[in-house]
Amino acid sequence: MTRLSDPPVGTATAVGLSVERVDARDKLAGKAEFTVDLHPPFMLYGSVLRSPYAHAVIEGIDTSAAEATDGVVAVLTGDDLADIDPYYGHALRDRPVVAIGKVRFAGEPVAVVAAVTQSVADAALASIEVTYGTLEVAASLDAALAPDAPLVHEGAVRPGLAHGLGALPEREGNICYRYGFARGDTESVFESAPVVVEGDYLFPAVYQYSMETHTTIAHHKGDDIVVWSSCQHPFLVRQEISELFGLPLDRVEVIVPFLGGGFGSKSYTKMEPLTVAISRKAGRPVRILNRVDESMVTTRRHNMKCRMRTAAGADGELLGREVELWLDTGAYADNGPRVTATAGDAAPGPYGWKAMDVRAHCVYTNTGPSGSYRAFGSTHVQWIGESQVDEVARRVGMDRLEIRRRNLLPRGGEVRPGAKGVDADLVGDIEAVAAAIDWGAERPPNRGVGISIGLLAAGAHPVSMATVRLGPDGGVTVLVGTTELGQGSRTAMGQIAAEVLKIDSSRVRTMGTDTAYTPYDRSTGASRSTTVAGKAVEEAALSVLDALLETAEEILGVDRAELTVAGGAVEAGGQAIAYQELVQRRFGLAGGELVGHGRVQPRGKSGGFADGPVFWEICAAGAEVELDPETGIVTVLRTSSVADVGRAINPQLVESQDEGGTLQGLGNALFEEMRFDASGTLLNDTLLDYRIPSFEDLPAAMSCTIVENADGPGPFGAKGCGEGVLAGLPAAIVNALADAGVAMRELPLTPERVWNQIRKQRIDGASSKD
Amino acid sequence: MKLPPFEVHRPTSVEDASRLLTELGDDAVAMSGGTELLLAMKLGLASYGHVVDLKRVGALRSLEVSGDVLSVGGGVTHRELETSPLVRSLFPALSSMLADVANLRVRSVGTLGGNLCFADPHSDPATFLAAMGAVAVLGSGASSRRVPVEGFSVGPYETVLAPGELLTGVELRLPGPGTGVSHVRMKTHERPTVTVTSRVEVAGGVVTSARLAVGSVCSVPVVTDTASSLLGSAREDWEERVARCSAATAEAVEPVADADGAVGYKSALVEVLARRGLHRALELAAGSAGAGGVAP
Repeated sequence: MTRLSDPPVGTATAVGLSVERVDARDKLAGKAEFTVDLHPPFMLYGSVLRSPYAHAVIEGIDTSAAEATDGVVAVLTGDDLADIDPYYGHALRDRPVVAIGKVRFAGEPVAVVAAVTQSVADAALASIEVTYGTLEVAASLDAALAPDAPLVHEGAVRPGLAHGLGALPEREGNICYRYGFARGDTESVFESAPVVVEGDYLFPAVYQYSMETHTTIAHHKGDDIVVWSSCQHPFLVRQEISELFGLPLDRVEVIVPFLGGGFGSKSYTKMEPLTVAISRKAGRPVRILNRVDESMVTTRRHNMKCRMRTAAGADGELLGREVELWLDTGAYADNGPRVTATAGDAAPGPYGWKAMDVRAHCVYTNTGPSGSYRAFGSTHVQWIGESQVDEVARRVGMDRLEIRRRNLLPRGGEVRPGAKGVDADLVGDIEAVAAAIDWGAERPPNRGVGISIGLLAAGAHPVSMATVRLGPDGGVTVLVGTTELGQGSRTAMGQIAAEVLKIDSSRVRTMGTDTAYTPYDRSTGASRSTTVAGKAVEEAALSVLDALLETAEEILGVDRAELTVAGGAVEAGGQAIAYQELVQRRFGLAGGELVGHGRVQPRGKSGGFADGPVFWEICAAGAEVELDPETGIVTVLRTSSVADVGRAINPQLVESQDEGGTLQGLGNALFEEMRFDASGTLLNDTLLDYRIPSFEDLPAAMSCTIVENADGPGPFGAKGCGEGVLAGLPAAIVNALADAGVAMRELPLTPERVWNQIRKQRIDGASSKD
Repeated sequence: MKLPPFEVHRPTSVEDASRLLTELGDDAVAMSGGTELLLAMKLGLASYGHVVDLKRVGALRSLEVSGDVLSVGGGVTHRELETSPLVRSLFPALSSMLADVANLRVRSVGTLGGNLCFADPHSDPATFLAAMGAVAVLGSGASSRRVPVEGFSVGPYETVLAPGELLTGVELRLPGPGTGVSHVRMKTHERPTVTVTSRVEVAGGVVTSARLAVGSVCSVPVVTDTASSLLGSAREDWEERVARCSAATAEAVEPVADADGAVGYKSALVEVLARRGLHRALELAAGSAGAGGVAP
């Protein structure tokens, strides 16, 4: 790990230090509680009957045998939802809680059994008889976009509660959302450009594969609902459950213990509506614990096809880019519209185009729904755009680092019309990843190096609240709605509060979310927690500090300007008063506490959050690969990334984020691919056939350069990290492989695909010599 | 995707196990480590009301050397075999092949006998043992018979085992001086895509014995007769002979297309891996060590 700048000497007591994760010991000892560890009294076990067909009418369901089974308490079907508006979806309200009259993907829940044990529930499930009338299936983008394609949805688009996308366009066949923007005269730029690179590209469906599958316990008590869930966005889940089941927000409580990873797979609402619905019928708490094969059809990353072309001058000046994207969102929109818009935003790349035209489409198919996955949108398109930049460089005979130096947007440069300008030093970032893989060094045959850089619209909607409590013993509790899903948020939030209050971070405790007590936070995703929720924590801690100083002023009889704060005490004129004493003297007894609130919102006093996005996350990476041309095997020898974080709250956590993202990037580039057959059945729903990276796939060297320019809108100039490398690395690997001689337009880079491309290039090369 | 209920039987002798399997008939299956069987049952690919667990049959757990023959009981785990000091010193190629089978958890429970009996077409040990000319010992308590491992599997998940018959052990000839053994494989998913094992003997500078098995691309491991073309060749001929032998091997083997690749690609891989494996085995034989690596 390299840090380009050290924290200012003598200023940091907590921020900038790699303090131990607050949850590390409990997790290693197996003491940390996850949703599956919880057992509310009288809890039942749910089992979900899923459709074997990707598109079918439900002609009848006979649940009588299941209902008559000893130990079964309730069986839920679509018929049980007649008294509510049973459709949900934060972007498009298109998904029934359980199938109603029709199924749209293989794996869609058709019925749920709740029973006293899991085995009773599972056995009863087998006795439910469903009669299906199968329909024509659109299991791929091509099938869904065909002129006579069967429609996955027939009704009009209903906006969801939290899409944040402005006015939504009407559905057009199976296209449920469109996004685009343009600048300049693309046609004339491409007509007159001396160099044009163009191609069609394919990106695979992949699964987020967090270790913990979706797990939810719900208790519908009539007038109240309590949900314990492995969810990333508890407040948005609360909102959807409230709306669905007709109870006020304050009567819905969502409690989130530790998550065993999320990566976007647990963003927004997943298994919660189904679990609440079966609990409503059973009158008792019910748990639904997905198996891996069930989670794989609960959410995934969008597969995509893309047509892109890039125009350039003979001197390597990048002139124009035209992009058309089609993202496969599966049978329900989930976060597809946002993913589509973010892919559109990322498609031009961080260059100063004279003209650009981006059109992105979100398409329904009869497959499991697609949603968020770390660095969505950017991962989809960066490898395509950056491979075209490399191709331009090759054609004009320019070094691939040099072409980026000359064309990258400067600080403040326009990324797309109406958005915040570039808020980072892009040339510095790309030079850092290039240097880390010895750019320009001599290499043996069949080796190649690649670099890439892109921007990811990050921060989501910047609304977060936080509360900081300082007790009479000097201990601090942070209440903030960020979900600890393994990224280390509880540690980082504690460090931020500790830094403001100048105390050791071990005196700060950051709690999990319970929406009944924890202040509102929009979501945990889009690399926003440290930047947005962290800013709220900083403000809350500043408010506590203000109260401490106010008390000290009174006690010491001095002006605030004369007070200094260090080591958990306020000092003036050589006299120090510890926080404990300040709290106790303020309240006159041994009790009492100081409570501070912090708030971040798009407008108002937090001016840095006025423009979207909150910040541009930098997606820069480098890779060196070795190709075995006889087998097509690509081995990644080393990788580099830049964590352009403004300020590293905890450098080791920053580095770990890039290590995790690097491995996921390797998987997305080299191995991972969900395969659906023409009938819409997922063919590889176990680790036997769905390959994720293992430790054997680790590159010999991974380097992460932490860049701290204090240019973020978050606390201490911080901005988010952890996603960029996942977008940057596949692009760097594709470029490195092209440098080794094989230019690929389809991911993943399986040995067979690479081998086929090598043969194709040989044949093309031979015929062009004729 | 959930393990359905079944009854477990735990015999302690081959006789009892065999009797149970005979009595319970088609609804019963023998289980050793269970790493393959239970997975298949979870996935709904196999279904049995009775599982006859062989882990307590002591007679299947022997591991011994007699003369130049290594005898491995059908219930010896991959990990026991891999880490056995006896195997490491007398048959390092076997040890290193096993070290790359699946993962530590699977190797610690899965057995050599179980692997052969499950007869998954994608198997490192089955390819290796076929190339070694190993013998499978089958028994039912009262009687026993011996068949070459090469013909033990007759199709995907099918073997020559008669009803009530168990694979009680496997016998392999230890590599002597001048023997080179290599096992090369490539995998794109959890199970291998192509496995090639070569066993050659070099005496007086020329090849005196050569045997090659190709696995994981067809329904069963195939021992081709192509390696005999190496017989009598000296080092200066190896480059050319191996190239021809590898090409002939790829011609002789007819891969099955599946998610691991198309036929043409697999044929190309067979040629590449056979060539690399034979060269490695020849070098080892010429250097008279016994070990062989695994990566292609």
